[in-house]
Amino acid sequence: MTSYILRRLAQLVPVLLLSSVGIWAMVYAVPGSPVGAIVGENATAEQIQATIERLGLDRPLLAQYWSWLTGAVVGDFGLSIQSREPVLGLIMDRVPATLQLGLAAIVVGLVLGVPVAVISALVPGSWVDRMLSGWSALALGVPTFWLGILLILLFAVELRWLPSVSTYVPFWQDPVAALRNLLLPALTLGVYVSGIFARFLRASLLGELKADYVRTARSKGLRERDVVGRHVMRNALLPFVTIVGLMLAAFVGGTVVTEAVFTYPGIGRLLIQAIGVRDYPLIQGCILFILVIYVVMNVLVDVLYAYIDPRIEYR
Amino acid sequence: MSGGWKRARVTAVRVLARPAAAVSVAFLAVAIAVSLTAQWLLPLDPLYQDLVATLEPPSATYWFGTDELGRDLLARVIYGARTSLLTAGGAVLIAGVIGVPIGLVAGYFGGWRDAILMRVVDVLLALPSILFAMALIAVLGRSQSAALVAVGITGIPGFARITRAQVLALRQRDFVMAVEALGGSASYNMFRTVLPNAWSPILVQVVILSSVAILLEAALAFLGVGIPPPTPSWGEMLRTGKSYLYEAPYYAVLPGIALTLTILSLDTLGRVLASVLEDRREIVEEEAVPANGDDGARRGTA
Repeated sequence: MTSYILRRLAQLVPVLLLSSVGIWAMVYAVPGSPVGAIVGENATAEQIQATIERLGLDRPLLAQYWSWLTGAVVGDFGLSIQSREPVLGLIMDRVPATLQLGLAAIVVGLVLGVPVAVISALVPGSWVDRMLSGWSALALGVPTFWLGILLILLFAVELRWLPSVSTYVPFWQDPVAALRNLLLPALTLGVYVSGIFARFLRASLLGELKADYVRTARSKGLRERDVVGRHVMRNALLPFVTIVGLMLAAFVGGTVVTEAVFTYPGIGRLLIQAIGVRDYPLIQGCILFILVIYVVMNVLVDVLYAYIDPRIEYR
Repeated sequence: MSGGWKRARVTAVRVLARPAAAVSVAFLAVAIAVSLTAQWLLPLDPLYQDLVATLEPPSATYWFGTDELGRDLLARVIYGARTSLLTAGGAVLIAGVIGVPIGLVAGYFGGWRDAILMRVVDVLLALPSILFAMALIAVLGRSQSAALVAVGITGIPGFARITRAQVLALRQRDFVMAVEALGGSASYNMFRTVLPNAWSPILVQVVILSSVAILLEAALAFLGVGIPPPTPSWGEMLRTGKSYLYEAPYYAVLPGIALTLTILSLDTLGRVLASVLEDRREIVEEEAVPANGDDGARRGTA
């Protein structure tokens, strides 16, 4: 399995490398000088001089890229133009918030999506199946940001049960307050996740239920619960995990959008704010950081894949 | 070309035979017709500001109420459809014009051209498109063309991948080899023989990308980095509407319905079209008749 994971990591190197060139080149593509883009218009002469020296902006382009990259690898993205604080610190402050939102959304997605997939796969073609398939089409089709607005209208404006703006409260500090703040954003993002589960896990289960071993398991008198839970589910997860990998990009995008809907203080919102004030070091840092997280998630999906199917390493 | 028309008609009939697809096509047709003819059909101005009637609830004058500047929300939703359609059309055009030739060249020649082109395409495909679009807009500045280019570029990998897969399958077919053997140039063979036979999945991709493009444009506008005001855009309306949820709860509802129905319709159409073309392809493969092939080969001899 180790060699398989190493090989997958090696495949991701060109993605990260090419992206890093693109992110680095951003400040050269904007109008004006790159120094101006990095330190801002109101920078002092010393700040400009310090930046030129730090990034070697008076040296050849390749050397400039190298100093930027070696900095970025150890987490040195420079200083934010707006706050004059290290970009890495600003990002790290937001990581727990985004992480909590993402995990909560996955939990919501599992709770809403897996039963839907199992039930509709067990009675394919029935009216229950058709209703549940309609649900998954809706869950995948409704834009995340509009769903978020609708949930705010219902639960915050009409019923006044939950806040319309969510702040980050660490779950282990105050579970009740954390849940109050997290429920609507997690539901917004989780509905999309549940749509992925409902549609693709259903398709995957349907394919497996036709297999011979299912008939064998049933004919030897195994309870339906064990047939599905112990045999079918494990095999159905394989093709499904591949789909999850393909949907990760949409999940990352959904997180950014959800944070914007609820003005939730995560990395996505930090990026949007940075773009708003053209804080390029912060923009570069956020994008590279989100990208690395995304790549790590991809690797985790692959590891999961190899774990579910031990044959994978021999391929 | 009459054969092409006949096939198109048969495909259209089969697609419309499915109720879900028929409803989707009807909705899209009405949306396109209304948004294109709005200035002649309806006495509505999306930019007129009735400053004594800001954030009005729905009434006889303003069927869906007014926004914070007293502009008619119905008019803005209708003209917002134009923005969405324009983005979808433009993005598909950009993605297709760049992506299809990339796929053609990569699949037809193979070798180092294929390796280089596909590596770049894979990197683009690997990135979350909204992140890529935001980065591009951060560089280009916020404008209509920046949004269009950003959304368009994110669609390139899809076209390139699908075209390449088609070309790889067609490359070994007799009619393509025949044109090559008869001395047809590579570009003639690619564009006149291979491409006309690779249309079906590309067509499906056009529909799917339209839906993705409309969603992405709306998401960018919602995040405040899309097409700048005062151009009416559904995403921008949702963004502003979100600030007035307590004063005007109806504000964000209508543009959201329009956006959702459009996306759902395009998704449905895309899925039905894919399954209809898939069925047809199986029939074609069984009979071993190339879609447009003998025709293309004959033109090759001429």
